[in-house]
Amino acid sequence: MSTETQPPDVTPKEKPTPAKKPEEKPVDLPAFEKGLSDKITEKFGDKIEVAFVKEDRVRINVGRENVHEVAEFIRDELNFDHVESVSGVDFPKDKEIEVVYHIGSYTDSSLSRQILVLATRAQREDNPIPGKDATILPTLRNIFYSVEFHEREIFEMFGVFFEGHPDNRRLLLPEDWADLPPLRKDFDSRGR
Amino acid sequence: MSVIAPKFKLSEFIKSILDDAFWAILILNLIGIPAVMMILFFIEMPVIHGELLTPFLALSWIADPTRTLPIIQSFMETDIFRVMAFPGFGFAALLAAGTIFVERKMLAKLQLRVGPFYCGKLEGILQLMGDGLKLISKEIIIPAKADKPIFWAAPVIFVGAAAAFVALIPVAPGWVVADVDLGLLAVFAVIGFFPIITILSAWSANSKFPFIGGIRALFQMVSFEIPLILSLLGVVILTGTLNLSEIAASQSNFPWIVFLPVGAIVFFITMLAELERIPFDLPEAESEIVAGWLTELSGMMYGLVQLGTYLKLYAFAALFVVLFLGGWNGPSIVPPFPAEIITDGITMGPVTLKVPGLPIFSQEMLNGTLWFVLKTVGVIFFIILPRGVFPRVRVDILLNLGWTKLIGLAFVNIFIALGLLYAGVLGPGGLQ
Amino acid sequence: MTTEIMPGLALQKVDERIMTLNVGPQHPGSGHMRIVVQIDGDYIVACDPDPGYVHRGEEKMAEYRNYITNIPHLERPVIHDSCNVLYPYVLGAEELLGIEVPERAKYIRVIASELNRCIYIMYWLAIYGIFLGHSTMFMWPAGDREFLIDLMEKMSGARVTHAHFVPGGVRNDLPPNFEDVCLRQVNYFEKRIKEYAAVFYDNPILISRTQDTGVLSKQDAIRLGTTGSVLRASGVDYDLRVKEPYDVYDELDIHTNVMKEGDAYARSRIPWLDMMESCNIIRQALQKMPKSGSVRTKLKPNPKTKIPATVYKRVESGRGSLGCYIVSDGKTEPYRLKLSVPSFRNLIALPYLLKGEKLGNMPSVYWSLNYWPVEADR
Repeated sequence: MSTETQPPDVTPKEKPTPAKKPEEKPVDLPAFEKGLSDKITEKFGDKIEVAFVKEDRVRINVGRENVHEVAEFIRDELNFDHVESVSGVDFPKDKEIEVVYHIGSYTDSSLSRQILVLATRAQREDNPIPGKDATILPTLRNIFYSVEFHEREIFEMFGVFFEGHPDNRRLLLPEDWADLPPLRKDFDSRGR
Repeated sequence: MSVIAPKFKLSEFIKSILDDAFWAILILNLIGIPAVMMILFFIEMPVIHGELLTPFLALSWIADPTRTLPIIQSFMETDIFRVMAFPGFGFAALLAAGTIFVERKMLAKLQLRVGPFYCGKLEGILQLMGDGLKLISKEIIIPAKADKPIFWAAPVIFVGAAAAFVALIPVAPGWVVADVDLGLLAVFAVIGFFPIITILSAWSANSKFPFIGGIRALFQMVSFEIPLILSLLGVVILTGTLNLSEIAASQSNFPWIVFLPVGAIVFFITMLAELERIPFDLPEAESEIVAGWLTELSGMMYGLVQLGTYLKLYAFAALFVVLFLGGWNGPSIVPPFPAEIITDGITMGPVTLKVPGLPIFSQEMLNGTLWFVLKTVGVIFFIILPRGVFPRVRVDILLNLGWTKLIGLAFVNIFIALGLLYAGVLGPGGLQ
Repeated sequence: MTTEIMPGLALQKVDERIMTLNVGPQHPGSGHMRIVVQIDGDYIVACDPDPGYVHRGEEKMAEYRNYITNIPHLERPVIHDSCNVLYPYVLGAEELLGIEVPERAKYIRVIASELNRCIYIMYWLAIYGIFLGHSTMFMWPAGDREFLIDLMEKMSGARVTHAHFVPGGVRNDLPPNFEDVCLRQVNYFEKRIKEYAAVFYDNPILISRTQDTGVLSKQDAIRLGTTGSVLRASGVDYDLRVKEPYDVYDELDIHTNVMKEGDAYARSRIPWLDMMESCNIIRQALQKMPKSGSVRTKLKPNPKTKIPATVYKRVESGRGSLGCYIVSDGKTEPYRLKLSVPSFRNLIALPYLLKGEKLGNMPSVYWSLNYWPVEADR
């Protein structure tokens, strides 16, 4: 199951930065959400990129080596306690599959409207063998228990293997599915 | 069944009728009468008015209504009549059919709907017949690895046991199929058969859901048998006899429920459990184990089991009436027949029939039957009612109820009965 | 004791004591889902839910249709609660397309959402009655919800799968005299559901079957990420209509029902209390609604989103918080649309709660999690 090719170290800082802050005036950003993003930035600095800070939504992009640490920080220091949903987005042009976690909080009443959007990217292969190729991400199940079934679904729908997940099995698809993972862009469901 | 004869010709119709009549007469006379004579060679024939009744004599008497009456009366005293028609199978099946109809309609009204409506002109009366025809026409599917002899025999034995139970119940003074001195003990023996039949049927089906259902039925019936028997002992203590007809006769002044209400309540609850009715219908718990021990029965086997269940329902309700509510006793509201009817025949307005001995049933029997039916219908109503009100109990709550609380209450009932006896309230020196 | 012979084919040695029972899709106690339970006598040792029997690929289909033609198929996950399933989608689409919704449309959306919530909860209560063996509890809710389905039919033309919400408002205005009819029927409906206390919630057999079974503590409810009535029955005061109000919910007075016990009885009681709350909300909305006005902001035929953006909107539906994550890249179809459904989120509580339970408690615990199998599969 380990790598035939070394996954290149794609951290967001190598990307061009069209969504960076210089064009926007800092006074437009909502204060509470800015506070959240500032706390994360001061702890992790360059390892993360703050994609946007909108009302009730803060989005952080992280590389796949650091996502585990960042998630742990989010749970321990910022009082977020559960993951609402996990989605995968397929970008065949960038040869990456993005996995987006929406994290919320029930216990902290100041955070009851906030959703922290945590996004990582996994490397994408053209001929996937789910579970046995380089599309691997660390699992967040030992931090947030609620991602268990969501990560199983992403495994079967995109082919992203979550390392450390106790039960990487099919959930919604039938047991004898032998085709591409269905939610990828090269799987065309029209005419099937 | 919609268009009977698109091209109806009267001559063809008459021709077909004459055809059928010819063949019927031919077969009846050439084969039927000798067969009847051969059978009757072995059956005892009654003696009426000093003459032995042979089939030819019976056929000639039937022509004259004044001489038919003794035949009918002697037939009614035979055992066959009792088993088939009056206190036996026919009567019970009629009441069972009525119960099914009332149950469906009453539940429907409780649940704000209509119930059977379209089958039959009046509010769906023929629905039961429609269901029976449907069940007869269905294919009987046997699971592949089932134990075939036992699987086939189980529903039949079930109906047989239920019919045996029905046979022990007295309906009117002198009208009981089997007048056994140890009647109540025979009832307990027959009730003990039912768990065996259920577990045999469930085990022989060789499938998981009937297996669980059968085991649950076994648990339920066995654990409720003890409170059932104990709760009836109070009545036995007070009456001093096990004969059901005598127990019914002993309540001519007051029914036993007045003195033993606790026993009546315990008996009612255990009755619901033995009948597998809601709230105790675990063996058929639909949402957990599909249909319990009835899962693999299809077609007429299922129909037989339903028949047996409703016969059992009637029998238990009748037992409750006989033991606690006074059996057939009740104020005489059937008027006594004027003496001329018995000796001379009816002369009432347009109906004139000068035949002696006309009322086939005596006034006592009619009165007794009327009160018996009324009381049984009342008890059946109360058995049906929880079906619309309660959900199903869970198996551990059920077992807890049967083994601890109900046995305790039954013993309290026995102590009350003993107390009443020894205090002299009832029994030799007291009210009775 | 499982050996893998080929990929996807495993051989498992049968234990003599533990029986594997397939509470499968053809079972009166399972809905459209399979639950594989392993039981030891009467106790459940392990449980493995197997959803996916109704998976239709909603999210994949959404990538091939534009924002308007997406509406009829996206409401299919829950056919009678369809307005609530569409709600986060239309809110997200409105933000991406940059359009404003008129005031009257917002009130109509609130009324439709509350009616759908009640319709769904009545159906859920009816099935709960069947699972417990209580046929009256099946017939009464199924009959009483006809009043509300009738109202939805007047409003949108269909009894289920209304397809009434569009990005920009609602499809059509209310029929004339709708407000009076709605008020009368909602009042009668509320009177009817108050009678359920006598036949269902105060029924001693129901209480003995559901009280103290399947207890979900407050920390576990939060940690497992459950939502909706399951969460509120365990003592967490969280209702999206209060915490993150959308449309005109911030102008209405909403009371959140919370119970502390976290057992199956509490989880079955909270939706009933929520329904009475919904009747209050409908009455307030009918009063405050502007009497006339447009109900739809017209869009061009093939609407394109302004810039590549992502949006995540969530809404409180009959089962819990339903979220919709839309990724758009400036074209007419969404690049990726993800529905985060509350049933899927609550599913994780099922193997957690059933371990160690009696087999007789399985239906009552399973259905009390407010689980709708069709929605979880999308």
